[in-house]
Amino acid sequence: MHTEHTIESPNERQNRHKAMEAVHILNALKEDFKSPLKSMDYFYDLYEKVYCRHEPLHEGKTKIGTMCIQIPSEIIYALDAVPIRLCNGFYTDDEIGSDLMPQKSCPLVKATVGWFASDNFTDKPSIVYSPTTCDQKTKAGVILKEFGHDVIDVGFPRTKESEESRAYWRESVKHFAVNLSKFQGKKLTRSNMENSIKKVGYAQSLYHRLCDYRKEHKVPILGVEMFLITNAFFFDRIDSWMSAVEKILLELEERKRSSVHVAGKASPRIVYTGSPPIFPNYKIPLIIENSDALIVADESCSSNRMFNDMVSVDEWNLYDMIDSVSDKYLKACTCPIFTQNDDRIRRIVRLVRDYSADGVIYQAFAGCQVYEMEQRSVLAAMEREGIPILYIESDYSPSQQGQLTTRVEAFIESLKNRKRMKK
Amino acid sequence: MRYFVGIDIGSTAIKISVADENKNLVGHKISASGSMFYKYAQEALSELLKELNIESDQVIYTVATGYGRKLFKEADENISEITANAIGAQQAAKGVAQIKTIINIGGQDSKAISLDAEGNVVNFAMNDRCAAGTGKFLDVVAMNLEIGVDELESYHFKSVGTPLSISSTCAVFAESEIIGLLGNNHSVEDIVSGVHYSIAKRIVKLVKRVGVKEGVYFDGGPALNGGLVNAIENELGYKIFIPEYPQITTSYGAAVMACDAYLSESVS
Repeated sequence: MHTEHTIESPNERQNRHKAMEAVHILNALKEDFKSPLKSMDYFYDLYEKVYCRHEPLHEGKTKIGTMCIQIPSEIIYALDAVPIRLCNGFYTDDEIGSDLMPQKSCPLVKATVGWFASDNFTDKPSIVYSPTTCDQKTKAGVILKEFGHDVIDVGFPRTKESEESRAYWRESVKHFAVNLSKFQGKKLTRSNMENSIKKVGYAQSLYHRLCDYRKEHKVPILGVEMFLITNAFFFDRIDSWMSAVEKILLELEERKRSSVHVAGKASPRIVYTGSPPIFPNYKIPLIIENSDALIVADESCSSNRMFNDMVSVDEWNLYDMIDSVSDKYLKACTCPIFTQNDDRIRRIVRLVRDYSADGVIYQAFAGCQVYEMEQRSVLAAMEREGIPILYIESDYSPSQQGQLTTRVEAFIESLKNRKRMKK
Repeated sequence: MRYFVGIDIGSTAIKISVADENKNLVGHKISASGSMFYKYAQEALSELLKELNIESDQVIYTVATGYGRKLFKEADENISEITANAIGAQQAAKGVAQIKTIINIGGQDSKAISLDAEGNVVNFAMNDRCAAGTGKFLDVVAMNLEIGVDELESYHFKSVGTPLSISSTCAVFAESEIIGLLGNNHSVEDIVSGVHYSIAKRIVKLVKRVGVKEGVYFDGGPALNGGLVNAIENELGYKIFIPEYPQITTSYGAAVMACDAYLSESVS
């Protein structure tokens, strides 16, 4: 006996898997918390559109894939193209990529490779720029090339203190700009560059305004909601993203006036750092916020690192602007790929102070070597500063939920105890 | 006429198959295992023989299999359910399909068996997490949703939304997840298809461990659930073979074994 139903194609199966993962997280955001923001509906709908209904967002536009947030989006927007950040959080793509990468590699990179291996896109990038940041992304770019995608390497230095690095990176960015400009058949001009810097700068300023509300004693927005908002910047139309965030800001202002607090009275305030939570891999943030704690700030590339530092231009001439843009992506970056990274420690400590946090949770993907390695210096620094910190390793599989929850809960309870003892 | 009996004493049900000398299935019976395996098995066997008008002396050879096989002392021989399942599946699909992999979902466990070209068992794997993704799991789900187990199929195909995945592998935790989903007014249809896909993903992982090849045979009670069949087919990416009576494959395999045992003895 055979059933008469048709069988899904591999792409249909992958789409269903993605939809199931996406809906699972979106439902958790909508349903698990006491006061979800109404203006988040824009983002729920956006994610459903892209990951459940698989509808394209950028028809008629040139999509530029970037392997890492280090590719200056200001230049992409200036040339009238759309950046699509290819960092991927789907377990189903991670599983596909696992067959193509070494066993112990980073799930995020495996997921990106798996995504390209299946060549199943709703907004397919016409060209991919791959900055030589971490080893795995650098080599993953080569794998994508083998699949027949157009991939251009953009040389990125691994030290940031020296003048040589700065000069090298500025040169790389110029090459990138020339290459993309040829690809697009469009010229980079003083005016389109200036407009683009200002536009991205405005988006960043919106992020900073969102963060200001998280410094309050009563916090009107959840950390997981923030991740969903900042993550949308990876692929959304920048103008609609900005107007959606403006609406969120209005609602937050209202909440501030009526003293809404999204967490409990005793909920510890957490700074989240480490490997980036990329939708729908919000496993750890959700565990934290479901365990009566609140993420008030983060130090990760899918959120804070992408928005924190502004381009500072001296002279609004084309070459000066390009150099200033380059500097933002190198000098301000706190990525652990750099040899020395005291900036990252300083930033974490500052976030803890500015946001009155009670502790830090440091999450590294198993296989994300640089974050795993930098754990030592960060933990030592936090100890010196007297800041409690929990280090956890996890991956994209849904299976370790129980053990991870217990560890996080125990840490949060210890933070609560500390608070009570102080009083 | 000579007859051969295969009796499979499982955690949830006792399955009995009777085969003739040509290894054709002439009758079968399924009854609940209950608390007294041995007594119920004896009763079920004598009832079945009566229905088929077979005298007990016409039964030449009896093979027992399943968890409770050692409790059935009248058996001439007993074999593991892995071997019995492999033999039964190939006999049931004979002339229709070439079976290379078997998925069996029972009351409290699930198995994946891979066969070589001659039909020998080369590898098998069993679930290692209690009742996760088994027949019992489906019972619990149906009970929570206040529908019958036999209704799961129609709910599955009526689902229009995204299947709602269940992340717990434990039947007890899954229960609270399902109650949570119901509390948030999600449709029963999407929950049912989500449960099916969650089980299907897990079972496909299990069969991948034994090296799945196209030519998959699916048996055990849950194979009656077309929704689960559809989910497994989608996860695998191809059609699978479902026998006419999915619950009795293993007991049928034991009956075929009984026949083979008799034939080889009478030859020698």
